[in-house]
Amino acid sequence: MKPIMLQGHERAITQIKYNREGDLLFSSSKDNKPNVWFSLNGERLGTFNGHQGAVWCIDVDWTTTRFMSGAGDNTFKIWDCATGKEIGNISTASSVRTCMFSYSANMAVYTTDRAMKQPCEMFIIDTRLVDDSISNQAPILRIPIKDARISSILWDNVDESIISGHENGEITQWDLKTGRQINSVKEHSLLINDMQWNKDGTMFITASKDHTAKLFDAKDLLLLKTYKTERPVNSAAISPIFEHVVVGGGQDAMDVTTTSARVGKFDSRFFHMVFEEEFGRVKGHFGPINSVAFHPDGKSYSSGGEDGFIRVHTFDSSYFEYNFDY
Amino acid sequence: MAKKKSDEKNNQDDDNTKNESDLSSNDEEPNFSDPEGFVDDISDEELVGDILKLKPKETDGVESVIVVDGVPQVGPSRIEKLKSVINKIFVKFGNIVNEYYPVNAEGHTKGYIFIEYSSPVHAAEAVKLTNNFKLDKQHTFQVNLFTDFSKYEQIPNKWEPPEPQPYEGQADLHYFMLEPDAYDQFAVVTAQGSSVQIWQNTQPDPTLVEQRSQWTQTYIKWSPLGTYLSTFHKMGIALWAGHNYAQYKKFAHPGVQFIDYSPCEKYLVTYSPQGDPHNPDQKRIIIWDIRTGLEKRSFNPEGPTAWPIFRWSHDDKYFARIGQNNDALQVYETPSFGLLEKKSIKINGIRDFNWSPTDNIVAYWVPEDKDVPASVTLLELPNRNEIRKKNLFNVADCKIHWQKSGDYLCVKVDRYSKVRKEKNETKYSGMYCNFEVFHMREKQIPVDSVECKEPIQAFAWEPVGSKFAMIHGESPNINVSFYEVRVGQAPILLKKLEKRACNHLFWSPGGQFVVLAGLGSNGGGSLEFVDTHDFLVMNTTDHFQMSDVEWDPTGRYVSTGVSFWKTKVDTGYWIWSFQGKILKRFNMEKFAQMLWRPRAPMLLGEEKQKEIKKNLKKYYPQFESKDRMRQSKASKELIEKRAALMEKFNEYRQERIKEYLDNKPRRLALRNHVDTDELDADTQNVEEEVVEFFIKEEVTIID
Repeated sequence: MKPIMLQGHERAITQIKYNREGDLLFSSSKDNKPNVWFSLNGERLGTFNGHQGAVWCIDVDWTTTRFMSGAGDNTFKIWDCATGKEIGNISTASSVRTCMFSYSANMAVYTTDRAMKQPCEMFIIDTRLVDDSISNQAPILRIPIKDARISSILWDNVDESIISGHENGEITQWDLKTGRQINSVKEHSLLINDMQWNKDGTMFITASKDHTAKLFDAKDLLLLKTYKTERPVNSAAISPIFEHVVVGGGQDAMDVTTTSARVGKFDSRFFHMVFEEEFGRVKGHFGPINSVAFHPDGKSYSSGGEDGFIRVHTFDSSYFEYNFDY
Repeated sequence: MAKKKSDEKNNQDDDNTKNESDLSSNDEEPNFSDPEGFVDDISDEELVGDILKLKPKETDGVESVIVVDGVPQVGPSRIEKLKSVINKIFVKFGNIVNEYYPVNAEGHTKGYIFIEYSSPVHAAEAVKLTNNFKLDKQHTFQVNLFTDFSKYEQIPNKWEPPEPQPYEGQADLHYFMLEPDAYDQFAVVTAQGSSVQIWQNTQPDPTLVEQRSQWTQTYIKWSPLGTYLSTFHKMGIALWAGHNYAQYKKFAHPGVQFIDYSPCEKYLVTYSPQGDPHNPDQKRIIIWDIRTGLEKRSFNPEGPTAWPIFRWSHDDKYFARIGQNNDALQVYETPSFGLLEKKSIKINGIRDFNWSPTDNIVAYWVPEDKDVPASVTLLELPNRNEIRKKNLFNVADCKIHWQKSGDYLCVKVDRYSKVRKEKNETKYSGMYCNFEVFHMREKQIPVDSVECKEPIQAFAWEPVGSKFAMIHGESPNINVSFYEVRVGQAPILLKKLEKRACNHLFWSPGGQFVVLAGLGSNGGGSLEFVDTHDFLVMNTTDHFQMSDVEWDPTGRYVSTGVSFWKTKVDTGYWIWSFQGKILKRFNMEKFAQMLWRPRAPMLLGEEKQKEIKKNLKKYYPQFESKDRMRQSKASKELIEKRAALMEKFNEYRQERIKEYLDNKPRRLALRNHVDTDELDADTQNVEEEVVEFFIKEEVTIID
């Protein structure tokens, strides 16, 4: 399985995401320009030009008509997928760290960092009609976060609640009708870098700096499984077709210059979701992996790294033949 | 002492109660007087026996007084001087509140004195440490507690034989050798001994035998035959043995940092480089008898202090060290612990020596001195026969390597072609290397020589057998050469493996197999498992940043470790089969040390061993089936475990999947009644889009 290398970014990849059908792969990077690629052959379809700072988060709605991005230039932008034109722009007080469309894509959530006396805040906005006026529109809900900032976010599949992962390893569930916190657990000891749903949105996987990825129940935030590695985990994803999870990470980007690729352990690692046993590794990146994503058909997956490359891996037939005995 | 104190207290209490009863009788109200005609037939002993026992004795309150006998007898003129000398000795143990020097009519002291401390604890300490104290040649103190007098007064006239104590059997210290499958044990230490674990290397997964936190304060060491586990503490060494690792003995030696066992585990040498700050008289090296726990002899290091300072002969009979100024070899004998024949062996300029692992022969070397060439000498003990001497020229340094079976001795001689004296340093150039191989089992001990022009990285004998291996050359052209020594022949080069990434070599304790390893920061952690029977490289692999490689005592497994002492990341230990197949990886934070428990030598005679080797085919199926059973049992267990996990997980999932399906209408409502649950769920709404990709460009020239 020779991966397709997507070489279009000039700096570290921050997030990659497939659209619902999986034909397109969206990517953001610290080089200010999110890209969209054909996942099949790695050809670049287009670029979203407009940000002035590192783009930290991206999402695409279920119909692949709108794309959104939050960046370090204190803006949150919504784009038209087909044309790549910016259709909405919201200025924020600090950098936008996470963002996500709701299930219906009628709403979106984004959170800002705590910076210069500015608290971390979560905004929920109406995205049914996006035009220039969106910048003046009041958000539906605005929740200041007192303690640790939000570092990752997920929206449930009935548009009722949001799950946020925090800097201190906490996971909190919010009720959107009341704007209150329903539930909160602290199973990680360090920053949660990423959270991703399983296919039906009943479980999610977290990736934490504390060297583990964990599987949680979405309803009561019950810890189900733990996947241990020796390095900070930056991203984790669940296969839509098998009981497999892929975990990516590696030595902190800050320490990478002092370590060789071998010590860094920049591999994607495959675990069995239920048995928590590692069964495969994919090498290739020469910096930590910042984001991993499964193709919605489960037949390929991609990883984006600090090295600026995105690698699209199509599984060999042996992957599909491999079975755990039980 | 504490007990005594409480006794005293009781005394007082009793007194109080007595007084109280006296008081109450004064009140006259109830009449307690005996009726008339009453005869008191109960003795006090019967009535208040327990209180009588506590009756104050003459010696009460003098527990803090000691009697020192053997003090010099001096006239009145020198009594002050004597007092100051005595004071100096005894003030160390506590505050002296009173002292008394009895004098005779002429004012001469009588040779004994009384000293009273402020506390009985100090008195006891003083007795313990100054009894038999040698003041000078004529005077040795005999120190007693004053209370001892009453103790000795009460010695009954008739001797009663002591009651025989029931014999408490010593726990079986060698139980670990009786493991039917010969599974070996190993100990794992994490940083500063915060946790020490003993594992048994059972197949397919090792099992934890014992785990204790704070078992040791620094590191641990097994005794050479594996009987004892030694742990290091601020106050000394503790040995643990037997089934439950019960404490076997303690050896108090404050500040101990290094220990060394004699090869038969009879004696233990402890070395405290700083000594005891509270007791400067404490010697820095102590030799103990392990079984009795008694100190046999103590030394202060002199001469070169490369540990172990003392080296033991194979049978624990002798131990030796190089004397001060490198001018003698001091050989001591056991159990007397005196110098052999009361004098050391004069060898001018002796630099290094080593005992043969199987015979009482010492090999030592002396460097060139003016017109006398450097030489290596084999000395037989105790008769001090020089059985072989070999002169060598242009010697910079020598390393003495005995083969473990004692059949051969190899002296690695670093030689120079040019020498320059600069100030006080000698600088050698044009270095090359000679290996002088002594055939110990042949008549007159013939010596062969192998020369190597390249720098030598490592050298090692095959523990049993006749091969030796060396790593030579400079990076990146590092080669490994294997030689074989045969009777009446010079060593033959068997094989040269070229361009290897290694700097250390580790022979299997059973011979034949060798692991070539790259240790340390520039070694890269490469591992190569070689079968020297046909020089087949069985596996080439690595354990990145590995700092240790160790064979298990039977030569079936190899462990490699990344120690927290060397690197901070990815510490842990891995276990490999002798063929280089990875069996287990234990990655743990702050892993420090992993040590296999040594085994005592096999009791089977050589012939029996040969017979077993010959009939190995017979036993083979037996073990094979055992292994297979174990494997299948393990995989069965694993499968059962997985099945249980899966079942539990599925049970949990059922509920969630039901909820998910129940929620379907809501999801549909949110997405304009388009079913997006599956990729191809919404077949009506599919719009086919044709995307053309540019695949290849070909230029065909048409004429």
